[in-house]
Amino acid sequence: MAGEPDPDEEASFDVSASPEKQLPPPSILEIEPVYEALGHPRRRYLCYTLLEDTEWSLSDLATKIAAWENEVPEHAVTEDQREEVYVSLYHAHVPKLIDEDVVAFDEATETITTAEHAEQVLAALEGMGASLDTNQETHARSDMDEQEE
Amino acid sequence: MSKRSNDGTIDGDDPTSGSDMHQTQVAQRHYESNGQGELTTAIVYAIAEAEGVSPREVKSPPLYESVDVPSIEDAFFGSDVAGGSRQGIGTVEFQYTNYLVKVRSDGWIQVYEQTETGLS
Repeated sequence: MAGEPDPDEEASFDVSASPEKQLPPPSILEIEPVYEALGHPRRRYLCYTLLEDTEWSLSDLATKIAAWENEVPEHAVTEDQREEVYVSLYHAHVPKLIDEDVVAFDEATETITTAEHAEQVLAALEGMGASLDTNQETHARSDMDEQEE
Repeated sequence: MSKRSNDGTIDGDDPTSGSDMHQTQVAQRHYESNGQGELTTAIVYAIAEAEGVSPREVKSPPLYESVDVPSIEDAFFGSDVAGGSRQGIGTVEFQYTNYLVKVRSDGWIQVYEQTETGLS
């Protein structure tokens, strides 16, 4: 085992920070909610809207996401388009985000608000920004209503 | 080898094992995997048709709590991976309220109403 011992290197290794000290804080390591939340385009859209406002009615959210997806102003969204998004939010994406503690949902008022993990998801969204989702980023930062006229 | 219970619950392999259950198809819908919509939406629309209500009125429980739709979507309609298609062939069945829903790999979603034909 002796080989060519290098006392200096060994010493420096021994006194270097313990592994724990080199790890980022635990909150940074909890990346799962981020992946799960952002793993579908509609959930990314939904999370972008949370950057804008932390409380949404499900109907308004469906309208906004339908407008983004179809690249039309919100007033031009058809009832079919709105309904399709509404149903997919209600039956798939909102429950998923509730599971990941990213949003809370009031069933009586059908209102979505941010929950415990929203902060890190939104931080990740802002960090990755345009590099991953150029269109969605652009949509999220533009005000469709202003462009209507 | 264990025997399947026959307590009226639906087993994945043999949904007709309960001999006192009668199934009537009440709705069907074709899911276009390359279309705009999602499989979740298509299933809910089919259930809405079965219930005779608008899709927005299908509320409880969310489909998310009944079945893992993204996994079905992935297995049947998922994109190709290196080496070829990953498209599975078959049918997934699950129960939603008092409906039996079948999702086929050819895109057909069939909704069956289950009625008890009486105790033996």
